[in-house]
Amino acid sequence: MKHFTFSWGNNYIAIRGLLQAIGHELATPPKINSAIAERGIELAHPFLCFSGKLVLGQIATQLDQGDRQFTFMSSLGPEACRCADTCDYLQSLFSDCSGLSTHRLGGGTLDGTLANLRSHFGPRIGKLDCMKAYASFLGKIDLLHKVEKRCTALRCLSSTPKQVHELEKMALIRIDNASNSIALWRVSRWFDLKANLLPLHKRPPSLRIGIIGGEHILSEVDSIMTMIKGIAERGILLEWRSGFRHLVRAQSSLGPAKEKCRAYLNDALSTSEVFSCAHALEFIEEGYDGLLHIYAFGCMPQTSVKPILQRVAQDAGVPLLSLSIGDRFAEEGLENRLEAFTDLLEARKNKGATK
Amino acid sequence: MVAEKGSKLRIGVPLSILHYEFGGTIARFLTRLGIDVVLSPPTNQEIFQAGKRVVIDELCFPIKIFAGHVTYLANQDVDKILVPVIVGHENNRMFPCHPRSRLADIVRALGICETDRLLAPAFRFDQHGLTVGGFQDLARELGFSEDACDQALDDIRSCDSDEPHTIVASSDGLTIGIVGHPYVVQDKWANNHVVQRLEAVGCQVVTENDAEPIGYAPEATGLHFALAARTVTLSKMWDSTPEIDGIVFLLPFNCGPDGDITRYLNRTIKTPMLTLVLDELQSSAGLITRLEAFVDLLNRSCAAVGGRSS
Repeated sequence: MKHFTFSWGNNYIAIRGLLQAIGHELATPPKINSAIAERGIELAHPFLCFSGKLVLGQIATQLDQGDRQFTFMSSLGPEACRCADTCDYLQSLFSDCSGLSTHRLGGGTLDGTLANLRSHFGPRIGKLDCMKAYASFLGKIDLLHKVEKRCTALRCLSSTPKQVHELEKMALIRIDNASNSIALWRVSRWFDLKANLLPLHKRPPSLRIGIIGGEHILSEVDSIMTMIKGIAERGILLEWRSGFRHLVRAQSSLGPAKEKCRAYLNDALSTSEVFSCAHALEFIEEGYDGLLHIYAFGCMPQTSVKPILQRVAQDAGVPLLSLSIGDRFAEEGLENRLEAFTDLLEARKNKGATK
Repeated sequence: MVAEKGSKLRIGVPLSILHYEFGGTIARFLTRLGIDVVLSPPTNQEIFQAGKRVVIDELCFPIKIFAGHVTYLANQDVDKILVPVIVGHENNRMFPCHPRSRLADIVRALGICETDRLLAPAFRFDQHGLTVGGFQDLARELGFSEDACDQALDDIRSCDSDEPHTIVASSDGLTIGIVGHPYVVQDKWANNHVVQRLEAVGCQVVTENDAEPIGYAPEATGLHFALAARTVTLSKMWDSTPEIDGIVFLLPFNCGPDGDITRYLNRTIKTPMLTLVLDELQSSAGLITRLEAFVDLLNRSCAAVGGRSS
């Protein structure tokens, strides 16, 4: 059976891996563009975050094409934002859409995950199938994260950005085609070898900027983040640690992250804010020149953490630029603000060097 | 911090979000412990402006009001200001929205009051409201014994009303059910006196306080956010109450969870429903016109079907 989902950047590849392991297929989601954004804006309540609108736009576009098996990943755990309510919300939005069937993947434990898979895909799915499916999913999530992170760094460090782009494209295809853990391991090795062979600039990066923010927006590398990534090609090293991977693997990494930002955040059960704050503190400790906070307008976790990040940056004396990406964001405005921010950081760095 | 000998500890409680949400339980608990509780005054323009000045634009309307109340209390002679941290449901499946769970962190980050004056005990909740653990931790932090805590909890429980809830249809006008977050429904300034305005045009207005208890966090909706679940449950209850002619949904500006359920409610609730978005730019004139138009429509539709209001 062929399913469809929204893209989460390139992370749909991991969901495809999971479905393939249990004998199902996943359609490639349409790339985000202005028509998809408009479709989402038209469908959603104005208070829904911009990420939510993009997601709705992608779903609606696929529904228009006749796809009916909607599958998405959400464990309804503390890492969830309002996306956790996606299932009921969608059913209310698309209740006129005949034959729509929604499948929620995920679950806190192996038993919970297995029960969830069985409830959607039938009782014949065994424990081993479930383990294989999630091994494929998690393996692909980790590798996608590694490729994205390394290639973003290489955009700044390598003297051949075109080759970096090609390498990233090839890596994504290979990850998508890898059918088991051994194949994934081979892709990982191939990627490392290729990345190590790329020629590097002799000069070090002029600046180092740590990016924090909403996981969905940060994952949409081929659309919204293209411009942000573009500044890497001006010799600025960009680094971000937040992403779909952190949400998926929250159970193991949330504890240390919470501990790290105890001075700023209480024990409330949420993940996106905790990771943003913890990563900001890490970047500060590692001597990054500035922090770039990118989030979707209306994103509740990121809006709540914004004043806290401002305090973190103020306490450390590190410049912070918050960029809210919304329904009407203009690329020119974004470009100008990024330029102003990087100019400020450079001036600040030069002043420090002169002193 | 415990009060110095001979003086009573004075704790400021913002008359805003969490106070309304949990029916003033924490303030009553503190009073029973013998603490001098200082409530901020009902919201007014000055309080709101004070909050708006310090809070970032994108946060929702109630958070700005809340920040104003804390700012007011910070300038009063109080030893501590209570900003509880609402962690989530005991079942770990329902939560407050993100800004509400981060109130204490936001207050601290914005520097509205000195960090050592901020009293931020953590509470969890269940279907009945705040659970005992939070009260015990709070009493301990304030230097009270377990017995004193238990006594205070028994006292506030014994005061809880068990009166039966019956809605009697208005004999000479419409009956309107209000839904929305308690801190919007009960804060007259925040809702621009909507209840009084409806009463002024001859309506009987009923709120959650007039309904059969639906519990703090109704799980049947399957929703993640407790207050959104409460709004959906109450809307459905009003929808199946024949005495209710219309529903007014008070939606604070930029409230994510309530924004999400708006379309769901519009599609599923059969009783006429008016959604009023409340924000800092609300004009009474516009609001009155919308309420009048809604009431007028209800009167006409009741008349058309030979309903009560005819």
